[in-house]
Amino acid sequence: MWNLFKKLAVGLVVGGGLAAIANSQEVPVSFQLLFFVISVIGAGIFALLDAKTMNVMSGGMSFITVTVFWVFLISVCVAGASFLPQFDPEDEKAKIGKLLDKERKQSAQGKTEELIARAKALDAQVKALEDRLKGIGGGQAVAAVQVSPSGEKPAPAGGGASGDIMKIGEEQWQLQECYNCHKLRGEGGKKRGPELDNIGTLLTIEEIQQKIADPKSFMAEGYDKEWQKGIMPDKFKDLMDPKEMLALATWLGSFKNTAINTPKPIKKK
Amino acid sequence: MKTHSSSLLTLALLALLCGLGVSDVCAQEAGTSSVDFPYTGNRTAVWIVAQLHILFAAFILGAPIFVVISEWLGYRKQDPRYDRLAKEVTKVTVILFSMTAVTGGLFIFVLLAAYPQFTTSFINQFYVVFAILYPALFIAETILMYAYLYTWDIWKGEKKGRHIALGVLLNLVCLLILFVINGPTSFMNTPPKAEGVSPQDFIAAATLWDKIANQSWFPLSLHRIDGNVAFGGFIAGMIAAYMYMAAKTKEERAYYDWMGFVAIWIAVGGSLLQPFTGLLLAYEMCDYDFSFCPYMMADQLSMFFEMQGIMIGLLFLGINYYSWLSVKRIEGADNVRMSILTPIVLIALLPVTMWVMNSWWIPDPMSLAFLLPLTLSPFLLGRFIPVTVSARTVIKIGFIVMLISDAVWLTPAGFVATGTDMPDEMKLPEGWDYLSSMPAKLSAILTLVFVTIVNFVLYNRAIKQGTILWGKIDFAAQFVLIFLAFTSTWIMGLMGAVRSLLKKYFHTYSLVSDLSAESFTPTLSYSAGWITAITVFFIAVVTVAALIAIRPSVAPAKEPEGNPVPVPVK
Repeated sequence: MWNLFKKLAVGLVVGGGLAAIANSQEVPVSFQLLFFVISVIGAGIFALLDAKTMNVMSGGMSFITVTVFWVFLISVCVAGASFLPQFDPEDEKAKIGKLLDKERKQSAQGKTEELIARAKALDAQVKALEDRLKGIGGGQAVAAVQVSPSGEKPAPAGGGASGDIMKIGEEQWQLQECYNCHKLRGEGGKKRGPELDNIGTLLTIEEIQQKIADPKSFMAEGYDKEWQKGIMPDKFKDLMDPKEMLALATWLGSFKNTAINTPKPIKKK
Repeated sequence: MKTHSSSLLTLALLALLCGLGVSDVCAQEAGTSSVDFPYTGNRTAVWIVAQLHILFAAFILGAPIFVVISEWLGYRKQDPRYDRLAKEVTKVTVILFSMTAVTGGLFIFVLLAAYPQFTTSFINQFYVVFAILYPALFIAETILMYAYLYTWDIWKGEKKGRHIALGVLLNLVCLLILFVINGPTSFMNTPPKAEGVSPQDFIAAATLWDKIANQSWFPLSLHRIDGNVAFGGFIAGMIAAYMYMAAKTKEERAYYDWMGFVAIWIAVGGSLLQPFTGLLLAYEMCDYDFSFCPYMMADQLSMFFEMQGIMIGLLFLGINYYSWLSVKRIEGADNVRMSILTPIVLIALLPVTMWVMNSWWIPDPMSLAFLLPLTLSPFLLGRFIPVTVSARTVIKIGFIVMLISDAVWLTPAGFVATGTDMPDEMKLPEGWDYLSSMPAKLSAILTLVFVTIVNFVLYNRAIKQGTILWGKIDFAAQFVLIFLAFTSTWIMGLMGAVRSLLKKYFHTYSLVSDLSAESFTPTLSYSAGWITAITVFFIAVVTVAALIAIRPSVAPAKEPEGNPVPVPVK
């Protein structure tokens, strides 16, 4: 027992020391906790290494011990996973909903749902008309009732106004997850693709559109390896319709921050 | 008026039903389902049966590999324990074979119920595989499996070679099944494509071979082969642990102690290759579509991989702790010594590898110029250096090195669920961020592998110089065997979920969208709950199968205590 406490004490001291060093270097608390926990686990392992030999168990005793061990393993797995940071699936559901919205509407299920929604809206309007008629009497004129052709949902924005096109463009940036590879406005990955804060100065909207549709058409200076390997996917022409691609290109074309060193694009095709 | 408004709705619905009745559009489209599985939902229902099927299938494909090797070793060494091990594991395999078939059938039924249109079109796309190749191979495997078991006692002695050849044939068919079924599986993740051609157009013109031999087919098959060997070994180790606990005589205990040891070292052999074949698979997937990489490493699946890191770190600690307990049961192990170079290399390996990998990343071979001499030096130059240390010291230093490697292995860029939301204060500061890079991860896993190899070498040295006391291992070793089986099964469940989730909101990536409401990434907490439940159910079935198949009634050939085993190669 004394051996166990000694090792645990060493583990706590080592863990505390590592956490203190990490803290002095402004390492986030979560990492300090990681180093501390690993030190304590290490102490436990060393205690096990020098532990006395366990007596042989059989029969009911071994069954109970194995069952308790199983419960311990299950608890550690479930609790351990739950202890790690969890994302909110609603964020992704909203994104996927937007991405698949067109496809859903075009599917038979989508059409069915739209038809049912329209029928319900029509029914609601008929009921409203009935109530109005009851209220004012049968002989008076009835004001025309506006019928919304698209049922409960408002008509999707056509993207005609410039404010809308920029909004759609920014939305596409999020939906297609361009930030995974490109840094923009200080956010996103910067190692796989160039920072785009000054892309509007270097390429026209049509050229940006061309690059999105065909990544091999332009190569950013200094990104030879990435261009050769085709790191930027060429799937966007299949995932986005021309309006969405134009919107994204227009939005990106508005970024003309010359303070950021966006690499010069070299025309390849 | 009421009847007027309600009849409008009725008319609309009637029109709808007529439309559905005459239209075959619904039948052609993914997303519509005729059922909604209660409590779990459709996707989790498919997940459960698919994962169970994979677990049983992995065992019945992996176990025959080491069963045949074990039988051959027994034939060569004239050691009846190997033959008994092979036969007992085969008996369990045959029972689990039925479970594989049952879960496979359930898988198809659940798929058809939950995603009828997609399942039908997918089967049609691979009808040669699903209707001809796979059933033919499955029937062949069944015949060979039962023939292999029931000719065991008939083909012995001089006819043993015939039985081993039958086992080899069984293994070839098993491997073929794995490669064949991995075709459609990998197709769902990485359907073949060509630059400048739309995915749909390419698939319409593609041959069956084009679809099967897609980019992740071979890496997935490699990863599954050594995974199956490792998994089979860990499960066999767990069976040995149960039988050890149930043993009534010291001869039985000695046999099952030996069985656990053999099973674990077979499992370790497969496990050492797993990280590298897994990296190859991940590399090929990222090469196919780079968006897989941030999804796995920085976005929703990042904490899944953190959990994987935790489980693999614990797996390696468990394996080496079992190795320590194995050494403890060798009389004279305290006298075993190793060159001073061994602990020096153990300590130096992680930082040197990190520096080398950072300077010369894969596939630059320059890194080998440093790492190969470093890792081989204790074994090649050790004899020329008179200074030695005890085996116990080497093992303990190895554990410290493993803990440091685990810390590096587990350090992410930031403890956040999705990297896109990571504020600066959650990130590792400059100077520490190298710990989260790929060179650091590869260095950590190489170090874990090297420590395990050193412990294996040390164990072999100990058995040559000392005397193994089979049946005298610390009872805690049985819990380690159970822990290793649980952990490896859980990791398989986690990685199965990851592979499937990489398809994102597609049934077949970039080809067939999943229009259902369940096409999103489930949280790690939700996933861990189901993975644990599947693991528990699987292990419970395996336990029952083992208890039915193996009864400690057949007395093994008496092994005098004190023989050093394995017998040195002549």
